[in-house]
Amino acid sequence: MKPQIDIHRINAFVDGELDLAAQLEMEECLQRDAGLREQVEALRRLREDIREGANYHPAPAALRRRIAMIAATKPAPQPPRPSAIAATAGRWFEWRPLVASFGLVAVLAVTLDVAWLRSSQDSRLLDDVVASHVRSTLGQHLVDVASSDRHTVKPWLSSKLDFSPPVNELQIPRSVFLGGRVDYLDGHPVAALVYRQGEHVVNSFVWPSAAPDSKAEFSAVRGFQAAHWSQGSMTHWVISDLNREEFSTVVGAIQQAGDGNR
Amino acid sequence: MSDDENRRRFESLAMPHLSAAYNLARWLTRNDHDAQDVVQEALVRAMRYIGGFRGDNARAWLLQIVRHSCFSWLKENRPAERVYEADDEIHHDIAAPATDEPHAVAARKADRLQINRAIAALPVAYREVLVLRELEDLSYNDIARIADIPVGTVMSRLARARGLMREAMTPPSTRAVLRPVPRSTNGD
Repeated sequence: MKPQIDIHRINAFVDGELDLAAQLEMEECLQRDAGLREQVEALRRLREDIREGANYHPAPAALRRRIAMIAATKPAPQPPRPSAIAATAGRWFEWRPLVASFGLVAVLAVTLDVAWLRSSQDSRLLDDVVASHVRSTLGQHLVDVASSDRHTVKPWLSSKLDFSPPVNELQIPRSVFLGGRVDYLDGHPVAALVYRQGEHVVNSFVWPSAAPDSKAEFSAVRGFQAAHWSQGSMTHWVISDLNREEFSTVVGAIQQAGDGNR
Repeated sequence: MSDDENRRRFESLAMPHLSAAYNLARWLTRNDHDAQDVVQEALVRAMRYIGGFRGDNARAWLLQIVRHSCFSWLKENRPAERVYEADDEIHHDIAAPATDEPHAVAARKADRLQINRAIAALPVAYREVLVLRELEDLSYNDIARIADIPVGTVMSRLARARGLMREAMTPPSTRAVLRPVPRSTNGD
């Protein structure tokens, strides 16, 4: 009787991945089984052919430079929104000049503003919020879960985060709830709820905080409107390129919907 | 941990494996442009997590992140790729390797183009284990961790990947002759 040794074991033997006992057993089989020896030899040759013949793709120098630049310019534990955007912009310059024509202007504008405002905690957070918003509207990554049904979006976000964000549709005209995604702000994962108001995208970021409820504080960064407040043990940051008036309406609707939740 | 320390950690732990990261992404996405995008995104993620990295195998740790980014990318951009192979349990009739037949000689001389084409043509679940094993020389344990599968599955996918490679590298003319490799089980 020829011992039947399955092909998985032969592969593991050739890879030196059998434990000692199995290894010895296999070597013993090899002594008396010429067919097995041939199989092992053939596998070894195949391995060698693959290792010698397969292309190894080293990282391109441009990629290495870009990543080194991102690493050097940002505080490591924070997401590198501004610098990532700068890098993205650089890459678009190289590769996608047409797409860049519109987006790049916005990105550069934001990046410049971002550098200028870097003074207080809030303005730094504002940088991140703006960058996050711009990134979401430029890329294809607007939402992780695309649904206008809050009963779909809320459980999905809760399952990805260690908190359950308030998720509401807005009871105002021309408002469409697009869905949600997980983003990263202020040193932790946050929920991003995405709305469309007419032709404008609104990003609403939510994460838990110990701060007492507060009124909305508005700020404007070249073309973008932002507002932040605390409500129901959550910090809210909302941002859009809406005009100030419409933006206030949206913020009001978000606050109102949040009150209705409680 | 301070920003500076994290930056140093990133530079000393992750950056040395940038080529491993790129090679994996390049083989999984099968083009330079997307591989660069995916690797950049994965590395930015790695920067964020570096403070929490406690292990001693930074390469496997980084490749795990890259692999995850690649599969997210594949799911989004190449939905036709069978990202999740469900047929690991099915017994594949893998032709036993044979040596003294003409194709063995042919395979021996297989040119690089043929080998690279054959790897690129593998279903992604087999391609990733093969690349991690043969190009990165990682252990089954490391591969299991990176690909998030049991070691037994690494073993079966690797065997299957090599079986497919052998088939792909066998010239069609000889294939018909070689195909029947009867394993006479009755009484020899």
